[in-house]
Amino acid sequence: MSKEKPFPEYRRKLGPGWWLSNSHFTQYMIREWTSFFVSVFSLIYIYELSLFASGAKNTALALMRNPGIIAFNLAALVFTLYHAFTWFYLIGKVQPIKIGKTKSKPWQALLVNIVLLLIISYAVIQILVLR
Amino acid sequence: MSQDIATIRVTRYRPEKDGKPYSQDYKVPYRKDMVVLDALNYIKANLDGTLTYRWSCRMGVCGSCGANVDGVPKLTCASFLHEFKGRTIKVEPLTHFPVIKDLVVNMDDFMHKLVEIKPWIIREKESPPEEGEYRQSAEELERYAQFSSCINCMLCYSACPVYGLNEKFLGPAATALAYRYIEDSRDEGKDERFPIVHELEGVWECTLVGECSVVCPKGVDPMLAIQKTKILGATNALKSLLMPRGGK
Amino acid sequence: MPKVARLHAILWGVFSMGGFIAAFLLPVLIYLVGIAYPLGLWPVANADPTSAILNHHHIGTLFLFVTVAGSLYHGIFRFQSTLTELGLAPAKRALEAIGYLIIIIGILVVAYYLLLLNPGVLSLP
Repeated sequence: MSKEKPFPEYRRKLGPGWWLSNSHFTQYMIREWTSFFVSVFSLIYIYELSLFASGAKNTALALMRNPGIIAFNLAALVFTLYHAFTWFYLIGKVQPIKIGKTKSKPWQALLVNIVLLLIISYAVIQILVLR
Repeated sequence: MSQDIATIRVTRYRPEKDGKPYSQDYKVPYRKDMVVLDALNYIKANLDGTLTYRWSCRMGVCGSCGANVDGVPKLTCASFLHEFKGRTIKVEPLTHFPVIKDLVVNMDDFMHKLVEIKPWIIREKESPPEEGEYRQSAEELERYAQFSSCINCMLCYSACPVYGLNEKFLGPAATALAYRYIEDSRDEGKDERFPIVHELEGVWECTLVGECSVVCPKGVDPMLAIQKTKILGATNALKSLLMPRGGK
Repeated sequence: MPKVARLHAILWGVFSMGGFIAAFLLPVLIYLVGIAYPLGLWPVANADPTSAILNHHHIGTLFLFVTVAGSLYHGIFRFQSTLTELGLAPAKRALEAIGYLIIIIGILVVAYYLLLLNPGVLSLP
């Protein structure tokens, strides 16, 4: 390999809108942006817990009844579920389970984990809220 | 009798003549059994001998003929003209690589990374031929077989936006090949390869976009290899944390 | 393995665990405190779910800590990994430092407030 470069090579730079050019990339970015909702909801809830802890329970509950916050929470739930589903699918791809000779497929992992999610959510409600 | 015609729109770059890349249209006969490589060869033979591109086996095993066809990294020998919408097909040099001329890209970065991960069996001691072959069970073979299908065509690097944004990223094919050797039961070179794949610009830059596995013409699934390498790295790091002296 | 990479590997492992936490535990928490309570839906119907959860001193507190800390960690770590893709590569190290700071402060703060709310939680049941 010669170190001499008699003529200049041209380089193409990836622009900031690279993820708009391809539907896989766009879906990927939406998947990654679920992290924004996950973090911000956690921070809001930490603030809510701080209000509870300092005796300002009513302020905390009023915060959660704020329409803007409700709208954010609805979006957060949608994005968190999108994270959950894409996570289950990826786990299904990376760690397939062997049953005899066959390997599990990602969509099977997705279904099984959705059922698991429903069971766990129901258990949380039953044990921590309704009891 | 009118013949069916296709237009191949090639992005050309001739540094010895012009400063900038430009688009050039060529009209080629369109037949159902033609691939993009056939069209390029037709152009070079009949229309414009200066068109420059790489190819060799013309059957999808050598990895030479990678290009971006209608925006997607593909082997030109494996892309039929009828796969594409309409009769105008855009052919550009493989993205994320510097262009030397026309469709020929500079592969130095990939070649450097390939050598870096030591794509050969590393053993402390080679057993002499008299002792017979290294035996390997079907299960042991299955753990790395798909990753050994890599033909070094670099389509995965073209598809990877992380590599496009950060040239230091080790990238899909190099990691998949490193993993192929790490998982090979005959190989004893894990300690030599681990520092390379587990550098900050090794597997940790990967954010699981997954496009590499989508474009791979041989079903290598480099995304899977990268993910498994991350898991190996994490468990290895945890082990070294919990058992600093013992364990390997 | 180089030391920095070893640290990053462990941080990634924690991120992975956070991903499971955010997938399995966060949806129900968002639903309970953010949607069911303010809109009066089942199972909450205007009773405050956070107090109900905290009434179960040990598992309630554990559930809240794990869900909030795990999700915060996962969310910020993941957001950090996309910094290059968002064109913020030059500021990456600085933004990562801020991110880790938020994670550490967030986890300490949530632990602190949960202990204030349920002081007996560290003693065995």
